[in-house]
Amino acid sequence: MPVESPMLHAVAVGSVDDGKSTLIGRLLYETGHLNADEIAHVEEASRKRGRKFLDLALLTDGLRAEREQGITIDVAYRSFDANGRRILLGDAPGHEQYTRNMVTAAAGADVAILLVDAGNGLTSQTRRHLAICAMLGVEDVIACVNKIDLVSYDEGRFIELADELIAASQAVDGPRITAIPLSALEGINITQRSEKLGWYSGPTVLEVLHDLDRPIADEAFRMPVQWVTRYDEGGADVRALAGRIASGTVRVGDEVVALPGGSTSTVTAIDVLGDARDAASAPLSVALQLATDIDVSRGDVIAPVDDPPQVATRVRATIAWLDEAPLSAPARLEVRQSARLVPAIVEELHERLDLDAMRNEQADALEANDLGIATLLLAQPLVVQPYAVNREMGSMVLVDPGSNRTVGAVMVTEVLAG
Amino acid sequence: MSTLTELGTLDVLEAEAVHIIRECAAECERPVLLFSGGKDSIVLAHLATKAFTPAALPFPLMHVDTGHNFPEVIEYRDWYVQEIDERLIVASVEQSIAAGRVQDETGPRASRNRLQTTTLLDAIAEHQFDACFGGARRDEERARAKERVFSHRDMFGQWDPRNQRPEPWGIYNTKLRKGEHFRVFPLSNWTEVDIWAYIQREGLRLPSIYFAHERQVFTRDGMLMAAADFVERLPGEEVVTETVRFRTVGDATCTACTLSTASTVEQVLDETRESDVSERGASRADDRTSEAAMEDRKRGGYF
Repeated sequence: MPVESPMLHAVAVGSVDDGKSTLIGRLLYETGHLNADEIAHVEEASRKRGRKFLDLALLTDGLRAEREQGITIDVAYRSFDANGRRILLGDAPGHEQYTRNMVTAAAGADVAILLVDAGNGLTSQTRRHLAICAMLGVEDVIACVNKIDLVSYDEGRFIELADELIAASQAVDGPRITAIPLSALEGINITQRSEKLGWYSGPTVLEVLHDLDRPIADEAFRMPVQWVTRYDEGGADVRALAGRIASGTVRVGDEVVALPGGSTSTVTAIDVLGDARDAASAPLSVALQLATDIDVSRGDVIAPVDDPPQVATRVRATIAWLDEAPLSAPARLEVRQSARLVPAIVEELHERLDLDAMRNEQADALEANDLGIATLLLAQPLVVQPYAVNREMGSMVLVDPGSNRTVGAVMVTEVLAG
Repeated sequence: MSTLTELGTLDVLEAEAVHIIRECAAECERPVLLFSGGKDSIVLAHLATKAFTPAALPFPLMHVDTGHNFPEVIEYRDWYVQEIDERLIVASVEQSIAAGRVQDETGPRASRNRLQTTTLLDAIAEHQFDACFGGARRDEERARAKERVFSHRDMFGQWDPRNQRPEPWGIYNTKLRKGEHFRVFPLSNWTEVDIWAYIQREGLRLPSIYFAHERQVFTRDGMLMAAADFVERLPGEEVVTETVRFRTVGDATCTACTLSTASTVEQVLDETRESDVSERGASRADDRTSEAAMEDRKRGGYF
């Protein structure tokens, strides 16, 4: 029986001026996660900027540079409860030059809240956001057709845009779309309905977040070892392998293998932060004891003997390039994957994804915010799986060993032979 | 022994925090856990001990002591360190003043809150710490909401909000140059209610000032401040006795209390759930200086 996740990672994305910050402000306000002093701050900030209404957008615009320019420059995180379910919401900026922030915020997200202006309709950025969601494996999108008040609450316009959104997502083999007509400014269909949209019988944004099906622990067991603990227990030298279960469930008695080495043993004890259990699932942090003292160190992955991930030194992957300095092959970088850092060479750049034309093209380099397909050669074997099969085993970041900057986000598409 | 159980929000937050703590301990050479005796740092220290149990902590705790503390908190700090049998380093603002590194503020609004930054950065340099665990949460303040879990600081201790390292899928880039360090925030995604609910679940003991008690206080800027010897009062600031508790614990010159009769964790949790004023709004005079107060202090190397 899969267990339902008590926590949902959501990301809010949209273009400039489509009311995303207002929507987030509304969500926090209407679920009671804005306190009196925060509202007072928004009131004062609204007055300072000459607004005649409570501009909830000013709540999430946290940094001075943003307030001065009226933009959002980086990902902000807010938590709120959707009728008992915790939502961790990443707010990804809509500016084109900050597409990298959408990748940052949407990587690992269960659901995206995508804003579309009812008047302007879908933009090239809307399609780009859907393509990025598809690539990152975000399975659900709540498509908010915002500013419905500015098109006279017109049902026809909503249906037209909802159909366009579904078609746009299908075109990129993208996420399921739940389209909702709303007005962030008037607070319609975020947590409360309105008679002005009497023709709409679907869910509000909050209801979708609450009801979204997100089972955990259904995949094969994987645990990257973070830390090997040794301690004395009644005169016996005990060794425990500490880490966070990346996917699946482990049980006492399971036959496991430590990769990439390949030694096998049996799980004899599972400790969940001081509590002995006979089974544990993702995403818990645990410490495992094995029957035999096999060779295991930080960065190794513990997996079932009968269902192990692959071990590879060469992978094909989609790269989201995040750095100002462009990437051209060959490039010497480092790959960080779960608890391991290895030197890597971007051997060959195959294609750049043109998200506007929705096609791939030949490219010699990836600029900041570009997405491309490349082959990576790794200095040491890594335990990997395609991202589509297992997110935790198929995701990595690229680090520039010269600047130490995080320069790319990597999703493995294919595990290649040596 | 229990088998698979339904996971709650606290289980997920706890697992995430422990993952971050273990990751930092494994990757950084000399981490330290900033411990003030406040509830967030108590939860953080508790999580750290759980992360390595039954082995000892692989890093020490450090308190940046302004010299203007609530005595109950110092008492608690010393008790706690003995209880968990770990090492505590005390970095003293008094000593920074004596050494001429900083100048004490004077007057009724004097506070050592800003001075802590120099003491902290000096201690980081002296002990060559390359990572400081902090108990900051993203729900506390707007600048914090934008900060990464492994938050990079340059050689001057500065935070550059426009140049943060992306952390997709919770993969942390832990590479540093000499002299740089990280501020690491395992409680990033916790809320104030989560902290209290966790204190309740784990049965953690807290300094007594978190619970209702009688105290001599005066009102300043709409907030109730403790009447301490080292706080100079303005004309008209009359001292009265009230039943209060503190929601945060910091330098006594800038930490306000609230009227409350909540004397147990359960009662505080109920009050927190119903409260319509945020924690920093209720109790931190230092954030009220300007709209960008926290951002400016963080850029300069503050906690």
